[in-house]
Amino acid sequence: MAVQTTTHGAGRVAGGSLRVGFLMVCAVFFGLPVVWLILAATKTQASIFSDHPLSMGSLGNIAQGWSNLLTFNDGELVGWIWNSLYYAGSSVVIATVLSVPAGYALAKYDFAGRKALLVLTLIGMIIPTAALVLPLYLQMNALGLLGTPASVILPLAFYPFAVYLCYVYCTTSLPDSLLEAARVDGASEAALFFRIVLPLSKPIIGMIFFFSFVHAWTSFFLPFVMLSDDRTFNLQVGLMMLLQSTDAINAEGGFAALPIHQPEAALAALVAVAPVLVAFLFAQRYLTASDVSGAEKG
Amino acid sequence: MTETEIAGRPPAGTDGRARRRAPETGREARVLARRRRRRLAPYVFVAPYALFLVGFGIAPAVYGFYTSLFTDDTDAGTTFAPLTNWGEVLTDYRLADSARNVATYVALWLPSMLVLIFAIALVLHARPGRFAAAMRLVYYVPGAITGSAAALLWLFMVSPQVSPFSPLLDLLGVENATEAVSGNTPLILALMGIAIHAGGWILIVYAALAALPRDVLEAAVIDGASSWQVAMRVKFPMVSRYAALILIATFAAGTQVFVEPTVLATGVPGQISSTWSINQLAYYYATQQGDFGKAAALSLALLLVGLVVALFVIYRTKFYRIDRGLS
Repeated sequence: MAVQTTTHGAGRVAGGSLRVGFLMVCAVFFGLPVVWLILAATKTQASIFSDHPLSMGSLGNIAQGWSNLLTFNDGELVGWIWNSLYYAGSSVVIATVLSVPAGYALAKYDFAGRKALLVLTLIGMIIPTAALVLPLYLQMNALGLLGTPASVILPLAFYPFAVYLCYVYCTTSLPDSLLEAARVDGASEAALFFRIVLPLSKPIIGMIFFFSFVHAWTSFFLPFVMLSDDRTFNLQVGLMMLLQSTDAINAEGGFAALPIHQPEAALAALVAVAPVLVAFLFAQRYLTASDVSGAEKG
Repeated sequence: MTETEIAGRPPAGTDGRARRRAPETGREARVLARRRRRRLAPYVFVAPYALFLVGFGIAPAVYGFYTSLFTDDTDAGTTFAPLTNWGEVLTDYRLADSARNVATYVALWLPSMLVLIFAIALVLHARPGRFAAAMRLVYYVPGAITGSAAALLWLFMVSPQVSPFSPLLDLLGVENATEAVSGNTPLILALMGIAIHAGGWILIVYAALAALPRDVLEAAVIDGASSWQVAMRVKFPMVSRYAALILIATFAAGTQVFVEPTVLATGVPGQISSTWSINQLAYYYATQQGDFGKAAALSLALLLVGLVVALFVIYRTKFYRIDRGLS
């Protein structure tokens, strides 16, 4: 017995270090580019080439880099950040409100048009952006919405992937027996959704919130086509314009007079990533918030 | 398991059965009203979404198809020529090259990423906690870096002088970025693609694993299953619908690859054609030639390829089946 426990324990330790080793190797693959990017923002244009890739510059360079970025069109960057938050925030709220009930209904009710809706949603999910953006442009033009926040927010709020996430979650993790039991207890369909489905769907609502936020925050082509006034740009479109008009990416391109080079580009990338990390940490809290099996035992 | 056991309220069931033998008219009316509400409920739930689906998905897609049937000429004006765009696009000499590039990319990227996603998610879920949470974040972040910044980042990653991966690049005998990219374009793009896309799917599969009924997993452990067996025989089959979803979405994303070659082409000029992938060719029609009919035709052809694979996966996995009695 004792011997058995020891071998079992040894196996577990070996398995544990194998597990950690595998995860660490993956962490190097995924993490090293990010570590480099963070370090690059602390360097100067010269030290980014001369120093070791994983050496650190000074924190003062970050402050200097930030003020250099603000030299572009009198700090237009700050306005782009607010625009991005506004566009992404609005479309996330709409996308979540639309997709959660839809995904739930598609998973748990048999109704006429269900399969058609699933297939059309599938098409919406995998259709190339290139096929949609020009017709959307003409549509927004016809509605007189071109250049307005709505021309970006509304198309971004249509996020079929979220519907599929919710659909798969409800079919996989939401037992029918639980819903039937609540119906027997006299719960209305609305009460069922609000009091049982929503609380149990917290993990997927967190995921939907997160993915629709990233989808909206990183969107480039749609706002690029819809918006023409650079003050209404979102951060992605703005940064593309900023970096392409300096020599940070293209040595041939543009205004070498602006002090915006590779370290500033790295810093701009970090600024663009930061809200995604905040959203991640927020969504993370919902990941393990539910336990259906516990609810089922009631 | 009966309904009463689950509800944990035995009186409700027995009460109902007793009453059913001697129905009251008021109760029957209530039951009928409830049945009607139950029939109507799904329409109420999907209606707002369906509105957006039509407005910002179906309508523009149909309009895109409509534009693909017309040719635009400065001299002749717009003419209805249903097969011209499609014919010209499908016989474009660049399409064969793009299609070969994309096929190589998908063959390298898709299988390796699928294995990695499930391997990482299952290994992470074997011991949930702070370490697993931190790792999920690390795996996710590269995907959040987009646009110009991504061009800068990946250019530096493949430049041996400045890359943190320089030992690896030295090992491959790569002298400079141009050499790294020109010789191994699909491989480098596939690695980029994994770094960018895997993290999001790891999150999704992990969330799915975290939502699995705990008692089933505990029962498997009590029955003496090793964590490997629990992962392969219990957890993986339970999240298989996610595998179908990932396969559908990643195949479509892979055939539509755009960001990675564009980004790398910006960083290392002259090594990657601006029409390297099929989707880039579509953008080329739209932005360089101003030919939206052709762009729409090629985009929709790409959609068709993705759709065929998606419907095949859906059919094979019974993805749309409504499960009754999961537990």
